[in-house]
Amino acid sequence: MAANDNELWWASETFWKKTTIWTTAVMFLVLVGLTLDTMSQIQVGGKRVPAYSAINHRIDYKMDESRHAQVPVIGIEEPLFGKKLTEQEAEALVDHGKLTMHAKNCMDCHTILGNGAYYAPDLTKAWLDPYWGSRGVREELMVAFIKDPTDKIHNSLGRRMPNLGVTDTEAHAVVAYLKWMSTIDTNGFPNNFKPIDQEN
Amino acid sequence: MTALRALDSANLNGGQKLAVKYFTVALALLGVQITFGLLAAVQFVMPDFLFGVVDFSIKRMVHINAMIVWMVFGFIGSVYWMLEEEAGAPTVGLKLGNIIFYVFTAAVLVVVAVYLLVQTGPGEIETQWFITEGREYTEAPRWADIGIVVCLLTFFYNVAATFSKGKVTGIGGVLLLDLVALAGIYTLGMFYTTNLTMDQYWWWWVIHMWVEATWEVMVGCMMAYGLMKVLGTSRKIVTTWLYLEVFMMFGSGILGIGHHYFWIGTPQYWLSIGGFFSALEPLPLVAMVVHAVYDAGVHKSRNNNHPAMGWLIAHAFGNFFGAGVFGFIHTLPQINLYTHGTQWSASHGHFAFYGAYATIIIAFFYIALQKWRGDVWMSGNLFGGWKWKWSMVLLNVGMLGMIMGMLVAGFAQSQIERAIGGATWTAFFAAQEHPWFVQGMHWRLAFGTMFAAGYALLVWDLLTIGKRETRPVQSHDDAALEAK
Amino acid sequence: MIEPVKLADFFLTFLSAASVILFGAVYALLFAYAKVSKMPRLMPLAYSAYAVLFASVITLAKVTNLFGSAFWISLVVVMLVGYLLAPHAIWHLCVGTHAASHHDDPVADKSDQTPAPLNFGSVNTFHQPCKEEAT
Repeated sequence: MAANDNELWWASETFWKKTTIWTTAVMFLVLVGLTLDTMSQIQVGGKRVPAYSAINHRIDYKMDESRHAQVPVIGIEEPLFGKKLTEQEAEALVDHGKLTMHAKNCMDCHTILGNGAYYAPDLTKAWLDPYWGSRGVREELMVAFIKDPTDKIHNSLGRRMPNLGVTDTEAHAVVAYLKWMSTIDTNGFPNNFKPIDQEN
Repeated sequence: MTALRALDSANLNGGQKLAVKYFTVALALLGVQITFGLLAAVQFVMPDFLFGVVDFSIKRMVHINAMIVWMVFGFIGSVYWMLEEEAGAPTVGLKLGNIIFYVFTAAVLVVVAVYLLVQTGPGEIETQWFITEGREYTEAPRWADIGIVVCLLTFFYNVAATFSKGKVTGIGGVLLLDLVALAGIYTLGMFYTTNLTMDQYWWWWVIHMWVEATWEVMVGCMMAYGLMKVLGTSRKIVTTWLYLEVFMMFGSGILGIGHHYFWIGTPQYWLSIGGFFSALEPLPLVAMVVHAVYDAGVHKSRNNNHPAMGWLIAHAFGNFFGAGVFGFIHTLPQINLYTHGTQWSASHGHFAFYGAYATIIIAFFYIALQKWRGDVWMSGNLFGGWKWKWSMVLLNVGMLGMIMGMLVAGFAQSQIERAIGGATWTAFFAAQEHPWFVQGMHWRLAFGTMFAAGYALLVWDLLTIGKRETRPVQSHDDAALEAK
Repeated sequence: MIEPVKLADFFLTFLSAASVILFGAVYALLFAYAKVSKMPRLMPLAYSAYAVLFASVITLAKVTNLFGSAFWISLVVVMLVGYLLAPHAIWHLCVGTHAASHHDDPVADKSDQTPAPLNFGSVNTFHQPCKEEAT
């Protein structure tokens, strides 16, 4: 590059080249550092992402005044489908449910933790949705709905969920996955959600 | 000189011959994106439309996947287009590049065929390998992921080897680093875990770092080249400004990833980091206004490719409004709590992807066609010039109309479903049934149809522009003189 | 820690946020135009656009409850100062980069630009003098 006496250092190509490289490197390193910290905080079994065996318990979603946000609360023992699972069994069941939700492409109609498509309701707290009526019938209603949703009541728009060929085993696993999903601490998302009454 | 300007590949260098292949497929895939977008828009209005045949999830998947692939093809084509001129050497490994083009295109066809014909699979890991991964934007099965990385690496080899044989310009250096990041970041999303929060954390690394970082830099390189080409701005200036732009985009954008980590189970400090840096993300866009005015005022240079210039201007505006304004209005966590995952996101997404990316790739289509037809005249009084103007009007107005429809719907949704109803099932449908929402979806369909008409006209124009012209391209000097 | 926006403030949030960016652009536009066309009379207009931006930032900060914590207040300050100074900084940079390139020896500059960015006609006279306004 030809030497140029008139060139101002702060307007030169070299200066901005260096600035760009250094800024990018620093920002990237900060992100890597934050990522490492986040990884340690979002391990399954931690505070934010509970163990899979949380599905053996009642889950609630309550206001935490100190955080100005609703947070999931893991309560008394209340096994899913009346069967208490070991950590390994719970993990296998939740895993099967998640694989099913990938395989049926649920995310291209629903949102999961707010991410996905906007054609159908958010599933973050689907387990706690008052739509299921009462605690006693919820599990079976959910399984039946997932297996064959087409002619069940949805809304007055006529918008329906198609029959995606979900097997009985898969439907049970999906419910387990949804129950576990509702235990994740999402910093208060969704806000103002009124969970299903589980007291009776 | 021939009387009429035929498309003649003798006018192109090796890399450019490959580039126009990529551009052709990109344009076709844009058509696929629009078709499936329209079908999905119809289903919002008529829920039983193709129900059980091609369900909404499938339409939506093809819609967004076609978008990613056509844009990636557009970027790859643009890089091959400028490669030899930038490097000052013929493309190294062009034969391999050509083979990869056909492999890539065939793979895309196979993936889409499986999407449409097989659609879903059993809840096993094999489904992720051979049918779909079932994650928004990265639905492509794992074998295709690996294929994409192989294609990107071959592409990188072409580019890197060509630059090292010729000379690495500033634009070239930025491009090379960007392509390494592009391929590298994609691999981070290629794993399965039961931990949903972990899954979405890395998934956003891929999506955000592609769309809000590496793609933006790619576009910065294209803009730099485009300005030299169309306006004749000097290389030294565009290079300095390219560095500055990358500095500002990475400076705010890398940690701006935090705005995706508000609600997925990640720690609370992301609310602060994401809010802070994404509030700074529009600053570079605002600052660039000064540069644009300066350039326009000081240089008085006139462009010699009116359609390309028109689309570059559309890019500047689209990027500013789509990414800048529409991004900022719902980026702070205090409001994003209610807008995240509603039609707000759809509105912003349409505006930003179209404004920042679709526009500049279309500008490159026109830059390519000008040379393909032997440096033909594309300035004022262009023969059949109404076509590019009207397609531009229909596409831009169609897109703006869709965005406004979704904006109104999202405004109602964020209040009725989110703030009042708390995002339950009942609240979701209460919002979807609200007149503002329903009407928003009708407007979206109407303007989407207008957009599709604009596309049809665009294709017609791209096939014919310059064909009946006998005048050669206007030099930048003449263009400037004429402007007096 | 965040305090979510109240339902009644939704519209004001969207409006003030959009105004921040829009008036940021209007300020930048008027500022640059006043300078480039040497019309200092336009400068007060540029700063009144900034004043609207200022008011918008404060409104936005109010409805999104940013004044509750030192961290979020720092964001407000950075935005106010950043949007005020960025056009100035970019202007100086424009003048700086272009001054350097104007003074380049055209012959030396040419070697800098291999390969020539354009291959049709004489293209090395990129910078047209600013006399066009006269006509």
